[in-house]
Amino acid sequence: MPPKGSKKASTHVPPQTLVLDNGAYTLKAGLIPSASANPTYNDCRVLPNCIARSTRDRCSYISSELDGCKDFGELAFRRPVEKGFIVNWEAEKTIWEHEFVEARAGLRCDPRETNLLLTEKPNCPRELQKNCDEIVFEQFEFAAYYRCVGATLNAYHSSDTSSVSSLPQECLLIIDTSYSDTTIIPLYHGRLIQPAVRRLAVGGKLLTNYLKELSSLRHYNMMEETYLLNEIKEAVSFVAPSTAQFSKDLERTWKGRLGNKRELDSSIVVDYVLPDYERSIHGHARPHDPVKSRMRRGLQPLQGPREDLLPQGNERFAVPELLFNPTDIGIQAVGLPGSIIESLNVLPEALKVGMLANVVVVGGNALIEGFMERLEAELRALVPAEYLLNISRADDPVKHTWLGAARFASQPELLKGVLVSKAEYDEKGSAWLAKRFVEGDR
Amino acid sequence: MPHVELLPNSSSAAAPGWTYVVDTGYDPSKVAINPKDRKRAAPRGGPRGENELSARQQTAIARRIAQLERDNDPKQGIAIPGKPSVPKTQNARRIIQYQRQIKHWLDDEEAQMAQQQQAPSSRATAASRAVAQTPRRPSIMPSGPPTPAEATPAQADHAEPEELLLSITSSMPPPLDQTQLQALLSAPPLSYAASHVAPPPAGGPPQRQFCDNCGYWGKIKCLKCGARVCGLECKEAHEATRCLKWA
Ligand SMILES: [Zn+2]
Ligand SMILES: [Zn+2]
Repeated sequence: MPPKGSKKASTHVPPQTLVLDNGAYTLKAGLIPSASANPTYNDCRVLPNCIARSTRDRCSYISSELDGCKDFGELAFRRPVEKGFIVNWEAEKTIWEHEFVEARAGLRCDPRETNLLLTEKPNCPRELQKNCDEIVFEQFEFAAYYRCVGATLNAYHSSDTSSVSSLPQECLLIIDTSYSDTTIIPLYHGRLIQPAVRRLAVGGKLLTNYLKELSSLRHYNMMEETYLLNEIKEAVSFVAPSTAQFSKDLERTWKGRLGNKRELDSSIVVDYVLPDYERSIHGHARPHDPVKSRMRRGLQPLQGPREDLLPQGNERFAVPELLFNPTDIGIQAVGLPGSIIESLNVLPEALKVGMLANVVVVGGNALIEGFMERLEAELRALVPAEYLLNISRADDPVKHTWLGAARFASQPELLKGVLVSKAEYDEKGSAWLAKRFVEGDR
Repeated sequence: MPHVELLPNSSSAAAPGWTYVVDTGYDPSKVAINPKDRKRAAPRGGPRGENELSARQQTAIARRIAQLERDNDPKQGIAIPGKPSVPKTQNARRIIQYQRQIKHWLDDEEAQMAQQQQAPSSRATAASRAVAQTPRRPSIMPSGPPTPAEATPAQADHAEPEELLLSITSSMPPPLDQTQLQALLSAPPLSYAASHVAPPPAGGPPQRQFCDNCGYWGKIKCLKCGARVCGLECKEAHEATRCLKWA
């Protein structure tokens, strides 16, 4: 290691980079050799960003250890990331060490010989950024480091997203609809237009918690079954194509009045067969069967397998509807299409046009059936007809931001321009570092 | 969209503690729910007679949303398994020991910004202050231009006709103004609170009301707690489960 403050300190760049998209729900991570050939989604590992504890078997699970979990019943989670930002470093450090440093770590590396490219959510409070920078250099001692808003690195996909580009796309509007919230992020040549960044406080976490609340109210107490309700949400939820269709579906899933009962429409209502964590770890959905549904109320056969069913009716579409109508539960915010318009209205017209022609949706909620169709239809209705609207979902919305970051990291000339070495940090300190990352030299 | 069907005799109480509600387009965006949004939501307020949410209802809604937004259950207190590695510096030790939640950090950020506003740093340019430090104006769509005090520099230059959703008037937009572009690109980030989207516009469609129990349209209002239900069956279930739960 060259002496402190020497010119060489900033030119020595280790040959590999840990690319880490540090989400609230999962870490997306991979080790990228510099000047590597075009990285792909396959180079990315998705790791739970949590420490879980089961009150049933009294086992604790750190991140990827959950792969070996056989009983998700009443599993409790401790998540280091809150509202998208790393808050609890005691837990995050444990998870990073478990996945990146310890002897059996799946992505083991020596931080002193590795660069860290770490993504964050926009509008991160400065004190939390400072905590993060200090831990990266003082606790993990990474050789060099760059922290930025993850979405900005999506500009380094070529426009057909199949290959690397060393030049960022001119105009790109990223919609990141993930666990903590949904953010709207306009980029100009890969640079964030900060005053136009907008946040809708509806994300996958809220949807899962809402489904948990509704199922507990209407059927059984599911308040401790976060894992299961998340699984059910992913399996059965869909976004209605329009508010008119939403109303129709609401009629088709209503039980009717006393004395005037309606048949539930089994093309929408499903019975979710719950796992018993003995013969089955995961459940599955099947069309609603009123007879079997009645049997679950204490009329199960004494012999043979029991089945516990959780019917899912209007929950299937009323839950993800919050992305489009947050006021349905009293959240005082416009829906996602209106949020996008609010962001665009900050921009000059030429940029609005450019952004609308290149909208890319990332994040897990983009996988909900019908989400893209509804978003495109409602956004189209808000945009003047003569304007081109090009909106697409990333091929893998969960890993896409990671891939953008990996493509950036695979290009030594780009990476060198932004990395800060540990020697520089030791010399100049965290206040300087924070400023450098904000202003950048890109 | 049929928000609510009018029922016969809709103005008279049908049962003790219950009333049929004629929904005349009550819009809760006129009341502040999230304390963080108070500044922005307040100007939309104004008495709306009996359709206005009571303070108790507002608290109940805010509590429920806070519960749905929660990241961690502080009661669970899951310990770090195994033997944790030793912090390598004083900084690291301090940071690793923090037991604060996100709300504490966000409150700090808001307090800091309030201080900066009182004593603006001489280094900050007027433009960046206007963008970063003033509470953001409410959404300008779909009608009504921002008042001069609310307009950011970006918008002030482009006060377009109010009727359009996007203020774009022709398919050939004027070329990019480089000064304006540079101001946008060099502006500092908004605070977390300021990055949130605005409440729905006052003239928009009314909030949809759902049955608190089964999720169907909520045509009947509970006089005790203000929640809606779809009929007698759900009314009984509501009273047995959630009525006043969040109060
Ligand atoms: Zn009902
Ligand atoms: Zn009630």
